[in-house]
Amino acid sequence: MNALSPRSLRLIAAAIVVINGFFPAVWILLTSLKTETELVSKPITWWPHAPTLDNYVRAFSDQPLLRYLGNSALVALGSTALSLVVASLAAYAIARLNLRRRQLILTCIVASSMFPLVTLLVPIFETMRSAGLLNTSIALIVPYTVLNLPVCTLVLVSFFQSIPRDLENAAMIDGCTRLGALVRVVLPLAAPGVFTAGILAFVNAWDEFLLALSLNASPAMRTLPVGITLYQGEFSFPWPIISAALVVAIVPVAVLIALFQERVVGGLTQGGLKG
Amino acid sequence: MAAPGLFERLRDPSEKTLGVLLLAPAFLLLALIVVYPIGKLVWNSFFDMRLSGGSGARFVGFENYVMVWQDPDFWNATGNTVLITLVTVPGALVVGLGLAVLANLPFKRQWPVRLALLLPWALPLAFAGLIFAWFFHTEYGVVNDVLRRLGLMDARDPAMWLLQPGWGFAAICLTIIWKTSSFMALILLAGLQMIPRSLYEAAEVDGASRWQQFWQITIPMLMPSIVVALIFRTITALQTFDIPYTMTKGGPGNATETLAMLIHKNTIEYLDMGYGSTMAVFMFGLSLAVTAVYLRHMARSAA
Repeated sequence: MNALSPRSLRLIAAAIVVINGFFPAVWILLTSLKTETELVSKPITWWPHAPTLDNYVRAFSDQPLLRYLGNSALVALGSTALSLVVASLAAYAIARLNLRRRQLILTCIVASSMFPLVTLLVPIFETMRSAGLLNTSIALIVPYTVLNLPVCTLVLVSFFQSIPRDLENAAMIDGCTRLGALVRVVLPLAAPGVFTAGILAFVNAWDEFLLALSLNASPAMRTLPVGITLYQGEFSFPWPIISAALVVAIVPVAVLIALFQERVVGGLTQGGLKG
Repeated sequence: MAAPGLFERLRDPSEKTLGVLLLAPAFLLLALIVVYPIGKLVWNSFFDMRLSGGSGARFVGFENYVMVWQDPDFWNATGNTVLITLVTVPGALVVGLGLAVLANLPFKRQWPVRLALLLPWALPLAFAGLIFAWFFHTEYGVVNDVLRRLGLMDARDPAMWLLQPGWGFAAICLTIIWKTSSFMALILLAGLQMIPRSLYEAAEVDGASRWQQFWQITIPMLMPSIVVALIFRTITALQTFDIPYTMTKGGPGNATETLAMLIHKNTIEYLDMGYGSTMAVFMFGLSLAVTAVYLRHMARSAA
């Protein structure tokens, strides 16, 4: 231990964390660049001998991957927008109004996220079936909005609380109504918080599997996780195409969190630790 | 038609009216997607709903409950779920704590380490399951390749990870630990960064070793974060579905089937809503107990 300098110790520590986090994604990227013959040769190769984009072409042509991408984007963006609106209103009320039992209200919203989704699955499935909404985007957008309410509300409450009350009071003295002050003064100042909550909601919705598998299983309505999991090969699981599809599905979210990592970490620790 | 008074009230409502208006959408959604389903779930559990499509359900009292209680599949799935929870929650805590301590070192560039912790969190569980299923592939998996290179495994007799009950279970647990430990690490890292440096400096002066500092300062100071992270992890571990579904589909046989998978199979695949709902009521009770622990903890730390 003492033989190593602090600098090389730090490098080893960083290497462990980075390899642990990146290896699976890197491995699937390497897999997606190999030809089918190379994939089933033994012993297996680590670095692709003749890198090819063929698997990507096939991922889009053999399966409706573009359709899955569209479904995922629509459901994730729709539920994110909706949960931001609903959570902003609720968070403002909790953070700013003189309500009795505000802690109880917040606890109710947070506790609702702790019920196992699979126990809510049957009634949600029945409701959507009788409303004729199975295999529509709405069937997922509404439940995802609720799933994201707790974390969005927690993040937004703490952002609203950090905005000085005086700014709002000044706006109201200048003739703004309370709602006017919310829309014109508080929301713009809370924009970073709204954005953070939005990223968390988007990632959650993009990742959800159980409801998407149960409510929207028809081939045209599948989201990415469901679509890729249910890929069927002629004889076996088509690993080359799967790995290419996985890379396509991972990239949007990976770019999003890479660009806004500080905010995501801040939001996660707020949403996780606040309660 | 709204009276002028009502319009004025809506334009600039009193504190209380505004509160009700602002909170209404959230609580309406919660009522629709959480409260109503729980009531409906309990209601369903008293009916035989096979082949009825909901219309001709037959009231059967506690018959479903007796049947679930005597169902070996139910106990198999419950046992698997509890075992996954008991293995992966402490596992993720230990790995997550290790990652957090490593990530807390003063690096010149923070982003590679931070992104390495965020990526597993952002990866869908189903994708983690698919990627690790490929890792553990008997013929072409990287895990067996590494074992072969290290001389730990005979290439002619590869480990059939996902095709054997015990090894399949181990592979699933490893995947869950990998996937969940980085979120744990992010939460714990935030806790680590709040520990004042002066505590360590004082311990250094008193001649405490690194190891002593870890157990006497780091762990006690981190306790609040650890407790919250453990409770959240336990609640999600009890719901384990995506990773076993994508890795083994509960197989071989039903050796790796979890409670969530059994409920999903009975309701969505077999459309036996009454029976599946009864199992869900059992599961609901299980997680309610954990939630109660959490809420008590929250109330105590708020006081």
